[in-house]
Amino acid sequence: MLSRAAIGRQAQRAARRSWQQQTRGLAEPASGSFQYQTGEANGVKFASRDIPGPVASLAIVAKAGTRFEPIPGLAEGLDRIAFKNTERRTTLRIQRESELLGSVLQSYHSRENVVVGAKFFQDDLPYFVELLAEVATMTKYQPHIFHEEIYPMMSLHQKSYLANTTEMAINSAHGLAFHRGLGVPLFPASSTPMKKYLDADSLSEYAASAYSQPNFALVANGVDNGELSKWVSEMFTDVPAQPAYQIKTEQSKYYGGEERIAHASGNSLVIALPGSSSPTGPFYKPEVAVLAALLGGQSSIKWSPGFSLLANATQSAPHMFIDTKSSIYSDAGLLTITMVGSASDIKNNAGKVVEALKSVAQGVDKETFTKAKALAKFKELQYGQETQAAIELTGAGLVHGGKAYQIDEVAKSVEGVTAEKVQQIAKEALENKASVSAVGDLYMLPYAEEIGLKV
Amino acid sequence: MSQPTLSNFIIKRPWLKRWMVPLSKWYKEAAGYRKLGLRADDLIPEESEEMQLALKRLSPKEAYDRVYRMRRAFQDYQYLSPIIKEIEQERSEREDLESMVIKKPTIKSKLPDIKSKVPDSVKSH
Repeated sequence: MLSRAAIGRQAQRAARRSWQQQTRGLAEPASGSFQYQTGEANGVKFASRDIPGPVASLAIVAKAGTRFEPIPGLAEGLDRIAFKNTERRTTLRIQRESELLGSVLQSYHSRENVVVGAKFFQDDLPYFVELLAEVATMTKYQPHIFHEEIYPMMSLHQKSYLANTTEMAINSAHGLAFHRGLGVPLFPASSTPMKKYLDADSLSEYAASAYSQPNFALVANGVDNGELSKWVSEMFTDVPAQPAYQIKTEQSKYYGGEERIAHASGNSLVIALPGSSSPTGPFYKPEVAVLAALLGGQSSIKWSPGFSLLANATQSAPHMFIDTKSSIYSDAGLLTITMVGSASDIKNNAGKVVEALKSVAQGVDKETFTKAKALAKFKELQYGQETQAAIELTGAGLVHGGKAYQIDEVAKSVEGVTAEKVQQIAKEALENKASVSAVGDLYMLPYAEEIGLKV
Repeated sequence: MSQPTLSNFIIKRPWLKRWMVPLSKWYKEAAGYRKLGLRADDLIPEESEEMQLALKRLSPKEAYDRVYRMRRAFQDYQYLSPIIKEIEQERSEREDLESMVIKKPTIKSKLPDIKSKVPDSVKSH
């Protein structure tokens, strides 16, 4: 039952001690910086930073995203089977115990990583380290769980995805830009292939590779590094040293192209250009972050279009959503401009968007550039303040290169960007083929040639 | 070794046949191998030289059918019962968790004890 055997003896003793006295005052001052401290125990890499507040978060970041899955569906399957039956306890038990302790369990996957973690009170750290160790090494991959719990959820999610033109356009743009690897769609649109590829055997093999020592890292916020090190060395004892099979990584290559998908409700147009990799990766260009802020689209000030070039260019279509995002991955990136709205709005404004982009390649106004740089730096530091910040990026950095994502350094490198660099990067980006993806009313939505982009 | 038999002796004498045939039918019912889909000759012990040679002399179809009948007959094991037990365990665990009483720790108490209301005799695992 809810016996002592379920919660490890050490964990229970520690929890008991912690109830008697607070190990840390809540009002203790923060260290002041966002730096991560890294370490290793039992071959498992981890990084943590101590930030004030009663809530800590801890996550396994595994190099197992859609980019690395050998057959479709495994990355999603891995994040869906987290926190289900393990050798020691059942799904229900895990849910109830974490609810009783007061916590939130999360698992999701992205293009490069599967993130499985929790947010909890600091004092419950041993419990959650043990839980994550169980999830990584002792999950039971039972066929009936797939039929009862996983496939139905996946079908429901696919249905909701099919209604989302923006997601479809972004996935399509990635596919055009990178073909395989990063180009694999985050969630597939059709239901048939998943059941063919995803089942208990293939997923357990994939998990054996994803949760092996070289392929995952633990990242924690709000946790003392020494404590984390102690619990990791105690709980993560059975992690295989070698993955079941090598997850191959090829350098991402940018291709480009155009795709048009008919859709009856909603219209989206995504223009993607080669961007910057993650700061822990080889092709890091902080200019791209500033370029993204410069092009912008969404204003941080209400009732005003703001300073960004695209917001000003598309003022005639106030109901159309337009935004520029710099998506960074370990060895490549995309600068995406997304337009969502009515087909006529998109048709009329797509050309203006491209013109604004080309004007950056000609030259950048000093004042606008300063505002863009300030905004880029602000976004970076604001993101760094969140407790969830950079968990995925740090974990990915550790797994791919051994460096954590240090927000202070990134903010400093954004500071060092000049207007000439931004102009240069815009020019280089436009020399490549763009990846243009149009989803919606294809009669109205323009071709890439029509708006002046080379595909 | 072929089975020793009195059948010819009995069939020649109608008064004996009248009694023995129903008796033999009852015996065959009681033996029950027909209900498993086996034939009488499937039961002959094969641990003898004659039997081994006889099996080798069977036609391929007969040999295949013999093996099929035997595999089909020896299938009496519990395949559903373990799964049913698991499901029952899951249900009762849910019941136990639902009827739980939590004692929150006070400054004086020693540890956050989680007590279950379900008595030990009812717990199934």
